[in-house]
Amino acid sequence: MTDLPAGEIPAGSSSRTWRRMRRNPAMAIGVTVLTAVVFFALIGPMISPYDPYDTALRMRLKPPSAAHWLGTDSQGRDLATRLMYGARTTLMLGLAGVAFAALTGGAIGLLAAFYKRLDNPLMRLIDVLLSFPSILFGLSLAAMMGPGLHSLILAIGLSIMPGIARISRGAALSVMAQDFMDGGRVIGLPDVTLMRRYLLANAYAPILTYVTLAFGDAVLLAAALGFLGLGLQPPTAELGSIAAEGRSFLFIAPHVSFAASALIFLIVLPVNMLGDTLRDAADRRAS
Amino acid sequence: MNDFAAARGSRGVRASNQLRLVPFALAAALAAAPLAALADGTVTLGRTADADRYDPHRSSALAAAEVLQMIGDTLVTLSPDQKTVLPELAESWEMSEDGLTYTFHLKEGVTFCDGKPFTAADVVGTMDRWLAPDAPNVSTWRAGEVDEITAQDDLTVVYKLKVPSSNLLYQMANFNFIMIDPDQAEALGDNFGVTAFNGTGPFCLESWSPRDQVVLKRHDGYTWGAPELGNPGPAKVDTVIWKIIPEEATLVATIPAGEIDASYSVPSWALAQFEADPTVQLLRPEASFRTHYIGMKTSRPAMDDIKVRQAIAHAIDQDAMAEGLWFGVVNPTVSYFSDKVLDYPADTDTSAFTFDPGKTAELLTDAGYEKAADGFWQKDGTPLTLTYYGFNETLSRGMAEAVQGDLRKVGIQVDVENYDSTAIWGKLREDTYDLYEMSYPYLSAGDALNLYFHSGSIPSPNRMMWNDPETDKLMEAGNAAITPEARAAAFEALTRHVHEAVLWKPLVEETPVVAAGPRLEAFEPAGMSGAVFDSGLNLSLK
Repeated sequence: MTDLPAGEIPAGSSSRTWRRMRRNPAMAIGVTVLTAVVFFALIGPMISPYDPYDTALRMRLKPPSAAHWLGTDSQGRDLATRLMYGARTTLMLGLAGVAFAALTGGAIGLLAAFYKRLDNPLMRLIDVLLSFPSILFGLSLAAMMGPGLHSLILAIGLSIMPGIARISRGAALSVMAQDFMDGGRVIGLPDVTLMRRYLLANAYAPILTYVTLAFGDAVLLAAALGFLGLGLQPPTAELGSIAAEGRSFLFIAPHVSFAASALIFLIVLPVNMLGDTLRDAADRRAS
Repeated sequence: MNDFAAARGSRGVRASNQLRLVPFALAAALAAAPLAALADGTVTLGRTADADRYDPHRSSALAAAEVLQMIGDTLVTLSPDQKTVLPELAESWEMSEDGLTYTFHLKEGVTFCDGKPFTAADVVGTMDRWLAPDAPNVSTWRAGEVDEITAQDDLTVVYKLKVPSSNLLYQMANFNFIMIDPDQAEALGDNFGVTAFNGTGPFCLESWSPRDQVVLKRHDGYTWGAPELGNPGPAKVDTVIWKIIPEEATLVATIPAGEIDASYSVPSWALAQFEADPTVQLLRPEASFRTHYIGMKTSRPAMDDIKVRQAIAHAIDQDAMAEGLWFGVVNPTVSYFSDKVLDYPADTDTSAFTFDPGKTAELLTDAGYEKAADGFWQKDGTPLTLTYYGFNETLSRGMAEAVQGDLRKVGIQVDVENYDSTAIWGKLREDTYDLYEMSYPYLSAGDALNLYFHSGSIPSPNRMMWNDPETDKLMEAGNAAITPEARAAAFEALTRHVHEAVLWKPLVEETPVVAAGPRLEAFEPAGMSGAVFDSGLNLSLK
């Protein structure tokens, strides 16, 4: 009873989850598409012969051609290159936003589950945050804090944080009911050790699943804020703002909006497929 | 964007950007829901923005001006070339020799929409309401420094100034001078121009559903229009409907289909397409003045050096902007205002405003800058990085990126900050930026110069922070001139002076273009302040 090695408690379950996931075709599709998009975003800028900021107004809104595979945007810049940089920005915003949300939301959820007296105040705060639609919440935050990278990440992070906090609390509460948590308390393990090595180690799977799905939301939110003009300032390429810019010329140059929207789709869809696979696998494990 | 409103408060209420933009991409085409079937004798005009209210004293929005011009009249109006003052409600007028007293003789038989006769007392009541101290009224500077305005008899108004105002009669053609029913304004208070408006115009306000439509009915007894502008009245159609269609792309689709009879809120790319469409007529006023420019703030470090300002001016390609951003429907320019306006001297030196990026390096070297290893100019280790404020709207964003791109090519970095129309007017009063983007309509050199360059207009609309005794002296001389010759001499000298100082980079001159559908008879749009349909007297159906 005094000897309670952390490693023994969650043994085996995660490898079974992984095996189930690998058998799911959605997983294969999701991973392939996402890898391709990330490759496009990371490697593309290195091999593109064009400068994403080099304007040439007389070349604006040209349709796809041999020189410009996806045509040019309203400033005469190579659209493919703009999309590579744009995908990079959008992915980075989604990743940073979701990381911020996972850290704060995860911490709030675990704390609420671990300390009973914190549960009520923290969760009521989260309820208040949850009562706003996340797009509206992100919009107001971005509008209040003004445009900029940090405020954008904060707006995205705070909009999806409440959901993560809820899930974390739920997952943590079910772990709290386990005997080994009481055991750890009894033998006098410090709270930090209990939370990190026992609580988090056993509650992370559903949190991770939710965070994966939330990444898709974060990317969509980043693109939506960019589309509404609350994103990064020009000339930064960002998928939402490229889609918005093209929207003004939809009748004469549909390729701009279409390409940017398609790329957003190609990021969000595989992320959601991955998240669903993870959730299915985790659900079956639970049942 | 538009400085029509900038200097003096509110702009029109645009349908919220957010709401307009939410449906991604293709939704625009789907949103073109069929509008109500058109009745006989009804002209439907389309536009993208509504006004906050239809009160000539409290709104400076173009959206208010275009409706008010139809439901109200001014004492005088301007000829199509914008150079001659014509009678409207006033039949004639005299100016005293000292230029301080104007006596207006009103036309007989003019009535308001409710049948009440229009008299000199209404002119006095209108002006008293507009110029009342502490009232939330706009554009009162147009009235000059008024001593008093009195009614000598029912048809004679005496307008006394403290100092002469050489521009007064031209300003009086502006929609802010539209004559109202002072009793109604008193009775309705804050609801005046919202729930009702009793005017003397060729049309009467029937109803207004904000952000949807304004319905105007013909004022049957109307016969007092200026014959020089076409039909003196009554109007040839019995109903005019101003319809708000916030989405530009939807508006474009409704014109060839005949659902909207005419609009000038048509984006440049669509005008380029309409050129080839036989069902759409493109109509342009004889003269109408609006210039887009980039202003330079002389109070900022680096920007106080005229060589730096010249270097920037030479690096921006206005020809490419006219072609790329406006699809060639505007004219690139090298002067702050059109060379066709009253009092513009032909010998103004505009050589500083040509696109000649080769000169930028030379000028910056002269000013003590050197090119750093990263290709950007710097002085004593401080890079020449400029902050640019612009509007968060399609065309303005395009201009910001074009300026940023052009200056990047010559080694000047520009940080662009685009703000929504609600936030930008406040930001533009700050001393936190080097360059800003703006456009403004004007009637004459004097009008344009008065708006921007006097030291009394610092910090807004004199956002250049141009504090120059010579400028102030010439402007005051031009305003106080009693003869046209003296006025022209002063304003011409001032025009040359401010161009030599390189305070702006002029970009393009824009003339409003009316796109009219197949039902409407061709007419000549009006040029003043962009309200192209003017009184509506010339609208008629085929």
